[in-house]
Amino acid sequence: MTKLRPLVEKEVKDLLRDPRVYIGLVVPIIMLPLISLVMSISMRTSLEVATRDLRVALMDLDETEVSGNFESILANLGLKVENINVGTLEAAIGEARSLGCKALLVIPRDFGEDLMDFRRVRVELYAIIDSVGIGSMGLYSAVDAALEGSSKLLSDMLISRLNPNLEAEALREPLDIIRSSVVKDTVIHAPPEAMFGQLVMGYSVLIPMILFILATTLTQLAATATAVENEEKTLETLLTFPVTRYSILMAKLLGSSLVAVLGAVLFTLGFLLYFQGMFTLPGMEDVMGGLFQAIQPPPPESYILLAVSLTLAILFVTSLGIAIGALSSDVRMSNSLLGVVTVPVMIPSFLVMYGELRTLPLALQLLIYALPTSYPMVLAKEMATSTVPIETIYGIPYSAALTFMVLYATSELLAPEKLLTLQYKLSLKRGRKGTSLRELG
Amino acid sequence: MLATEVVEARDLVKRFGELVALGGISFEVKKGEVFGLIGPNGAGKTTALRILATLLLPSAGYVRILGFDVLRDADKIRPVISYLAEDAGTYRNLSGYEYLSIVARIYFNSRTESERATEEAVRISGLGDRIMDKMKTYSKGMKRRVQIARVFMSKPKLAILDEPTSGLDVFHARHVREVIKDYVKEGGTAIISSHNMLEVEHLCSRVAFIHRGRVLDQDEPQAIKERYGVQNLEEAFVEVVGK
Repeated sequence: MTKLRPLVEKEVKDLLRDPRVYIGLVVPIIMLPLISLVMSISMRTSLEVATRDLRVALMDLDETEVSGNFESILANLGLKVENINVGTLEAAIGEARSLGCKALLVIPRDFGEDLMDFRRVRVELYAIIDSVGIGSMGLYSAVDAALEGSSKLLSDMLISRLNPNLEAEALREPLDIIRSSVVKDTVIHAPPEAMFGQLVMGYSVLIPMILFILATTLTQLAATATAVENEEKTLETLLTFPVTRYSILMAKLLGSSLVAVLGAVLFTLGFLLYFQGMFTLPGMEDVMGGLFQAIQPPPPESYILLAVSLTLAILFVTSLGIAIGALSSDVRMSNSLLGVVTVPVMIPSFLVMYGELRTLPLALQLLIYALPTSYPMVLAKEMATSTVPIETIYGIPYSAALTFMVLYATSELLAPEKLLTLQYKLSLKRGRKGTSLRELG
Repeated sequence: MLATEVVEARDLVKRFGELVALGGISFEVKKGEVFGLIGPNGAGKTTALRILATLLLPSAGYVRILGFDVLRDADKIRPVISYLAEDAGTYRNLSGYEYLSIVARIYFNSRTESERATEEAVRISGLGDRIMDKMKTYSKGMKRRVQIARVFMSKPKLAILDEPTSGLDVFHARHVREVIKDYVKEGGTAIISSHNMLEVEHLCSRVAFIHRGRVLDQDEPQAIKERYGVQNLEEAFVEVVGK
């Protein structure tokens, strides 16, 4: 332990002071909230500017008192209505566009008569799209909201005319549906679509994504840290120190893990700030806001299971990274090997993140269950909505066995004789025989 | 093995697949000696030193350091040796002081001892205040000084130095040679490799000519020069290899 501490200190200091590492750690915590802020400001501003002067062209083919009243209703609901008197639809659209209107509303002939006779009236709305920015989306929602509001007012008026004692709402929507969702044993007063938005974002995407980032960062960090030792020829010196190769391995595992966990914390914070910013966007507040508190946290035992499977996954990917780095004579070679090894390891992670595990073909399921990195993701995805999946419990001893096998193989690899000989052979394969012979002295 | 022998290498063979890096070399290094392995690039010097440093295992033959076999007793050998690789690098993001302090804490269990060793290493490096700067700002010579300080801070019974002055300017090379001499004066033993034969002639008490994995001759520099009737070791080496 006394020998391990200075080795871990070396790892952490060397990693945290490396610009390639600390920039990678700091960027998400700065960039993600910044992106969210910029998007929020940009959308808010464009929407505010547009809705302040939201013009809608009206082609009134009816020209009755009723259609006139309808125009007044629209104006009262915040729209600036421009009347257009032209012969054709094409000309009306051209006129609307030239007046800066965002939509053209066509009121048909017999609008008033049909309404008064309690017949449904078809009103045509042409949205004039000048921009495909996210901000524009809100404009058309505002037009829609005004039309729906006017339709409701007309309905109230007609029902009142039919019978002043009738409750308009009861007639319009006789069923008053109170939508709630049951998650495990908890009743949450929110419709399932809102819950799905929350759960999908929180458990199915956010947590697996953080675990994925953690896993890739760890493999990268451990591989780079070890490859740099080879590149700078410091590993050779390190292996002659009076420390066991297990201490060297443990120091690399702990050092890389500490830095990667710090990275994951910063990324999570950045991500949460990003989503917090997203939730405050116009129109988004009601979708997810407040539901974080509504969901009951998963039971403590699932957290314990998650911690164990996460620790095993961390040890697995870190020792994999160390093995890759140890076999690489430099960082460039390590990066090439990382791509070859980590992509097949990470593909199952995406399957877990975006797929429904039980509906996947058996071969893909087996691929997922073969890797310790999948278990914390499966667990994180399932723990909020159901009991802990049985396969994740069986996955613990399996992951432990596989991880310790990788750890053992990595520690064997750190035996200088094997390492130097393997590096020599790899160098030969890369056609650097002259260099290797010189290195052998 | 005699009590004065720090290193005893017998019929040492090292193969890498089909490549024979060492073809059965034998030599001894006595206490208080600076023993030089001299030869061109690819002669087998680094392979021999890596075996002594417990980094490589011999394919045949044996090496004993202070009576311990490198094959079986590597754990007992590592605390009493110190190895300087030819192109030993440094941790770019650590200061020289931090690096030396970390190594001291690996070699010494007590805080007092490790602090004393660190201060001694700082003195040996001769880098003054620059020792607190990150090593990525160091020149090659400064990095080598830190490594030399690291080697001798633990007061090893055997220092294994692979091309200790290779690529250094005259001032840094001189500094390194002085440190080695001081260490030997205090009772240390060193084995160095070099292809700079003139330097070795002044530094080593005994030398071995190594070429294509074989020791061609070994003795005191003066005795070798007299044997071949030449002015310096470089001429003697050419004579030996040419024979």
